[in-house]
Amino acid sequence: MSINKKIFSLAMITLLFDSSLTLANENLPKDNGHAQELIGITEEKKAQTIAELAARYDSAPCMDCHMEVYDAWEKSLHARSIFGPDKVGRTAATLKTTIENGLKEWAFSGVKKPEDVGVKHLMICAKCHLPQLQEAEDSVAQEIVKNVYAFVDDPDNLEAKKALQSLNIGCMVCHNRNAIVHKWTDGTPQKDAVYGTKDDVHMDDKHPFLKQSKIMKESIQCGQCHGLGPNFELENPTQCATLYGSHLFAYIPEGGQATCQECHMEKSKLGHNIQSYRSPEMAKMALDVDVEAKAFQWRDVSTMTPAAQVTVALTNKAGHAIPDG
Amino acid sequence: MGRGPYEKSGLLRDTSIPPHKTIKEEFSIPVYTEKQKDGKTVRDIIANDFTIDVELWYLPYGRKDDSGNAQKWFTTSKAMRIEEGGK
Repeated sequence: MSINKKIFSLAMITLLFDSSLTLANENLPKDNGHAQELIGITEEKKAQTIAELAARYDSAPCMDCHMEVYDAWEKSLHARSIFGPDKVGRTAATLKTTIENGLKEWAFSGVKKPEDVGVKHLMICAKCHLPQLQEAEDSVAQEIVKNVYAFVDDPDNLEAKKALQSLNIGCMVCHNRNAIVHKWTDGTPQKDAVYGTKDDVHMDDKHPFLKQSKIMKESIQCGQCHGLGPNFELENPTQCATLYGSHLFAYIPEGGQATCQECHMEKSKLGHNIQSYRSPEMAKMALDVDVEAKAFQWRDVSTMTPAAQVTVALTNKAGHAIPDG
Repeated sequence: MGRGPYEKSGLLRDTSIPPHKTIKEEFSIPVYTEKQKDGKTVRDIIANDFTIDVELWYLPYGRKDDSGNAQKWFTTSKAMRIEEGGK
């Protein structure tokens, strides 16, 4: 190829590239202010360490203005979604079990030892426990695994505990990352905005915009993690939470009207301390229990049978099946 | 809801209570010991007065001795009496 032809080809490629950018930009929603993100030009570099990923989703800066909300959130399991309940660390233990009893035993998982675990493997749990892991390199998955084993094998390992507790479902997971479900309709979340119930300014240098999320008060917001059931989008589907499915297909058709937020945040008065079965408030709201008991002597000809009959009636008042997750 | 998301990916059996529904559990509690005497079965009442304790537990991992996970949701006691000689 001659030099002239090469230059022409390069020019054509540049021209086509520019024109495709123009077309892509023209098709974008005009008011979302994040066209570049949608076409992937300014896609953020993936986090390489736990510290880096934790910093990106750090809720601490929100505390200055939203102290009450932060304090409530800090008591919730969302604040320790990879570690689990404070003194128990059950989620970390379950992660190890998943690797040992699941990934390592599956012939085609590609995991023969913990060191083989990458982001795609951890996503079977992180899909809900740490969805932002999708924005991290395999090195972060490796670091999580290393700390999981370190903590489970030695619960006094405070360094491992601290590393795992730094990862959570913080403010920006719900109020940014997961604030928009239908991205072809509404665009992807703006990195510089906090999503809530209205458009406004937000007094924060890093997030100077407040944007309205159409789903912030709807059950689908929670349903993204407390979901429908098997996650068929994964290479190896998993099943944990089926609450949103139960809510959609059993509670609503039978006349239920409350959203997840109405019961778990408003009626419970727990706010961002979103709780479930460990909370006495939620337990009272979830079930009515009625107990009737009668004692008697049953006579069968000459045989006497002293006995008691107990009837326990349980009425599910929740917006989903009980138990579930 | 099944044990171990890594073990299966579909509902095999669902023992949860559906929303809006009431379920009833019946418990028949014998209050006697049984022995054989002169070729016959004889039942002796354990106590005429006794208490029945009802507890409702939420056991995410199937065990009560699971501090921090197992939750006692409800408890009540019922005083019972079986009159001597019958009733």
